[in-house]
Amino acid sequence: MILKGQKRKLDPEDVEVSEPSSPVWESQRQFVFSVSLNKYQRGQELPEPSLRRSVLIANTLRQITLPSADREELQPPSGSLCRLHAKERESIFTESKPNSVLMAGDPMCSLNGSPLTNCYHSGDSGVTTTGDDEDEDWGSMSTDSDFSLSAAISSILTALDSTIDGSPQAAPRTPLRSLENLSGPSERGSAWVKHGTRAGGVSCAPQGEETVQESCADVGKPSYLNDIMMEDLFQDVDSSLLERDMGGLGIRSSRVGYPAEEELICYLPPSSSSSSHPFSLSLNSNLKCLPSFSSFSPLLSSPSPSSPESASFSSQNQARDGFELEHLMEILVES
Amino acid sequence: MQQKLLNEAMAGVAGGNDFQWCFSQVKGAIDEDVAEADIISTVEFNYSGDLLATGDKGGRVVIFQHEQESKNRPHLRGEYNVYSTFQSHEPEFDYLKSLEIEEKINKIRWLPQQNAAHFLLSTNDKTIKLWKISERDKRADGYNLKDEDGRLRDPFRITSLRVPVLMPMDLMVEASPRRIFANAHTYHINSISVNSDHETYLSADDLRINLWHLEITDRSFNIVDIKPANMEELTEVITAAECHPHQCNVFVYSSSKGTIRLCDMRAAALCDRHSKFFEEPEDPSSRSFFSEIISSISDVKFSHSGRYMMTRDYLSVKVWDLNMENRPVETYQVHEYLRSKLCSLYENDCIFDKFECCWNGSDSAIMTGSYNNFFRMFDRNTRRDITLEASRESSKPRATLKPRKVSTGGKRKKDEISVDSLDFNKKILHTAWHPKDNVIAVAATNNLYIFQDKIN
Repeated sequence: MILKGQKRKLDPEDVEVSEPSSPVWESQRQFVFSVSLNKYQRGQELPEPSLRRSVLIANTLRQITLPSADREELQPPSGSLCRLHAKERESIFTESKPNSVLMAGDPMCSLNGSPLTNCYHSGDSGVTTTGDDEDEDWGSMSTDSDFSLSAAISSILTALDSTIDGSPQAAPRTPLRSLENLSGPSERGSAWVKHGTRAGGVSCAPQGEETVQESCADVGKPSYLNDIMMEDLFQDVDSSLLERDMGGLGIRSSRVGYPAEEELICYLPPSSSSSSHPFSLSLNSNLKCLPSFSSFSPLLSSPSPSSPESASFSSQNQARDGFELEHLMEILVES
Repeated sequence: MQQKLLNEAMAGVAGGNDFQWCFSQVKGAIDEDVAEADIISTVEFNYSGDLLATGDKGGRVVIFQHEQESKNRPHLRGEYNVYSTFQSHEPEFDYLKSLEIEEKINKIRWLPQQNAAHFLLSTNDKTIKLWKISERDKRADGYNLKDEDGRLRDPFRITSLRVPVLMPMDLMVEASPRRIFANAHTYHINSISVNSDHETYLSADDLRINLWHLEITDRSFNIVDIKPANMEELTEVITAAECHPHQCNVFVYSSSKGTIRLCDMRAAALCDRHSKFFEEPEDPSSRSFFSEIISSISDVKFSHSGRYMMTRDYLSVKVWDLNMENRPVETYQVHEYLRSKLCSLYENDCIFDKFECCWNGSDSAIMTGSYNNFFRMFDRNTRRDITLEASRESSKPRATLKPRKVSTGGKRKKDEISVDSLDFNKKILHTAWHPKDNVIAVAATNNLYIFQDKIN
């Protein structure tokens, strides 16, 4: 930041702003929010992020996105402030406003559990933290404790499948997990719509896009949730996929879930980029979009190009599973 | 005597008195390129002050011993010279989680000396080790079964028996691991603290505190567990913990939210419920986005008397009376000029730096580090403070350290340094104060500076 002898310009952010409703304060808030998001994501990319750091950043994010009633504790109460925040909240629910406030409001609501959830979700269809359904679903899953690569691959595939067929809820959203969905607001939006309208579908991995996110990119997962994730991941096993024998992988099969997944992810994009298979394309685009909330900016642009692909993906679901699995295994064996 | 000296030290700052802090020694390489492994991560004097241990990121422990003052030059204190160096921790790999475990030494704590050997505990993120440092200055000579080279003698050639004789040899200091306390912490260990009973010690990670017996390595008692059932609800972690210096049933632990909990192990096996809760109400006028982060306590230390404890958060040091929970009795601003820079410091991660603090032997002064290789000392009685710098430029033997000042206003006086010119990569996180004398050890990245008072 400050090198010895180097002159610095007066940084607007460094100016102490005491007026909470001023535009400078608002811009500082947005700046801090984007920096926090960036930091958090980078921290999670580390093999073992510091828990203290993650918690502090998460708390800062939470504090930034508190609703006005709680935020008033932070600043001296003022009528104009209340009105400002009321308007802010209103705008969150009226239209998809591509700015950080919206992004803050939408997924961050799940940070604070039920009271805030209720507060925020009065007009929102997509995002709730009713973990109960999800827990039940997880509970009904096979409790296969085989830490084989095959299980990891199966779960990833089923998770990918379930982007269309998953539940409309964002199931057990951890406060930090929910940030992953900030990567592409409009594509998430379209996916959420799909969730809402679709019925039935793949029986396993009902977590939908969230599972896609967490299984495809460990980079987005807070490490202190590892314990939960491990169990969830290995419960999410479609027995039909397990029937295919993955034993040929030898050494790899003895490694535990996460590294296997990461290796899988490493392998998938190059191969899928060369393949013309629609599944591979959509997978690739999903993977591309996952860690991208480091590049998150308050102004978010057009809908992601992956939405048409996810539509096509949705239509070729279960029939392709076996083929894709073999295809993936070929890739892994070759590499 | 101590207090008088220190008062004079502080008065000396204003000019006029003879007592001042002066440079004694610096240990470490002078190279501009600092190897990551050489960065000092902990500094600790032993109970007598004769030994000074440092741990680094490479997992090594270096122990310095105080040499006796020379009879010819009694006005100089003895120097600290290398006594022993050993590799305490090696990098490990957690195969289950596929994670590397750093070998960086997070903390060293000495045990009280009970015999000729010295014992210390050193810990990295996951494993604590008890090391025995012993001297060997004699060797046995005249074995029956092996000759001088160590080769076994032919038994048929042995015609007489002799008793081996102890012969003096060059002093050899050996460090051997006597106990390894492993696999008890899921999260990163941030503190260890030896209990006043000299039989047990506690180790704390982000979410749990365990109590160990020094003799038993395969078991430990979990005494504090703040891990929520649902990790989504985690908002607070343990940042430091320490045993009371006299009451073996009392310990404290600090949190990332700026609170300190004092627990009594007699009350319950699991000390999740605190006996005392120390928290200062927040000043609403200074509230910012970073209020919580800067309130996170990075170090907690009991005074030698056991009556007070000191906490270090990002911008200040607070002294608490154990009998009063609602606010500290003293607050010292370490670098208040950084308050307006918090946003930038958050951006470059400096806001997460964990500074330590320490008491002097008589509890009349406290010391803590800052940026630009500055460190600060506060006299609790006179309320004077001084800022000094650990730098090679002022490293001439017995050179008096010049007080430093950071200018906050527009006008910068001569010899002052402006806030914008501070080097935030040069941070003094670890300092230690000799338990009896006015000798301090300051770790500046890969260098260890030793300063002492000038005796007249």
